Amino acid sequence: MAIAPIAGVASLGQLAGTPSIDAATKAKSGPGDGFGAQITNALDNLQATQNTADNLALKAATGGAQDVSDYMIAATQASLATELTVAVRNKAVESFNDIMRMNI
Amino acid sequence: MGIFGILDTSGSGLHVNKLWLDAVSDNIANINTVKKTSDNAFQERMVVAQESPDTSGTGVGSGVHVSGIQLGSADGVTFYDPQNPLADKNGNVKRPDIDLGDQMVQMMVAQRAYQANLAVIDRARDTYIQAMGIGK
Repeated sequence: MAIAPIAGVASLGQLAGTPSIDAATKAKSGPGDGFGAQITNALDNLQATQNTADNLALKAATGGAQDVSDYMIAATQASLATELTVAVRNKAVESFNDIMRMNI
Repeated sequence: MGIFGILDTSGSGLHVNKLWLDAVSDNIANINTVKKTSDNAFQERMVVAQESPDTSGTGVGSGVHVSGIQLGSADGVTFYDPQNPLADKNGNVKRPDIDLGDQMVQMMVAQRAYQANLAVIDRARDTYIQAMGIGK
C-alpha cells in the first residue's frame, strides 16, 4: 500500500481569497486622501492662516492696517487653527499608542 | 467660507459698521464746514450696505459688504453771515445740511451693531473651542 508523499506547502501569496494589505490600503487612500496627506494639508492650511495673521500684524505695527478687527480676526483664526491641529495630532498619537499597546 | 466661517462673516459686519462710524465721524467733523454759495456744500456721507452672496453652497450668505457711499444734498443750507470772508455780495454762505442729532443717533446704532458682531465672534470662538473638546 503506497503512501502519498507529503506535498509542499503552497506559497502564501497564492492563497486564494486573501486580499493583500497593499490592495486594501490602495483602495482606501486615493490621491491625497490618506491620513498623512490630510495632516499635511491641515498643516499647509495652518501655515497659510498664520502667514495671513503675521502679515496683518506687520501692517498693524507699521501703521498700514486699515481695520483693527481685521488683524484680531486673523489672529483668532490662526490660534483656533493651531488648537485644532494640535487636537487632531493628539488624537492621532493616542490612537497610535493604543495600537502599539495591543497584545498580539 | 473657511472652517471658522463665522469669524469671517461677523468680521464683515465689523468692517461695515466701522466704515459707518468713519462716515459719521467725517460728517460730524465737517458739520461746521462753510463754503461759498457758488460752491457745493459739504455733502453728508452715507454708507450703503449690501448682503454678501452665499459662497459655501449651504444657502447661508457670507456676511455684508459696503456697495458704495451715497452723498447727501450739495445745496446745503444758506446762512447769512456777512462777516465771513467767504460770504457772497448778499452776505450769504453755505453750511452743510447735516443734523447733529441725527448723526449722534446713527453713531449709537453703528456702535451697538459693531458690539453685536463682537458678541457673535466671542460666542463663536467659545463654541469652536468647545467643539475641539469633543471626546476629551
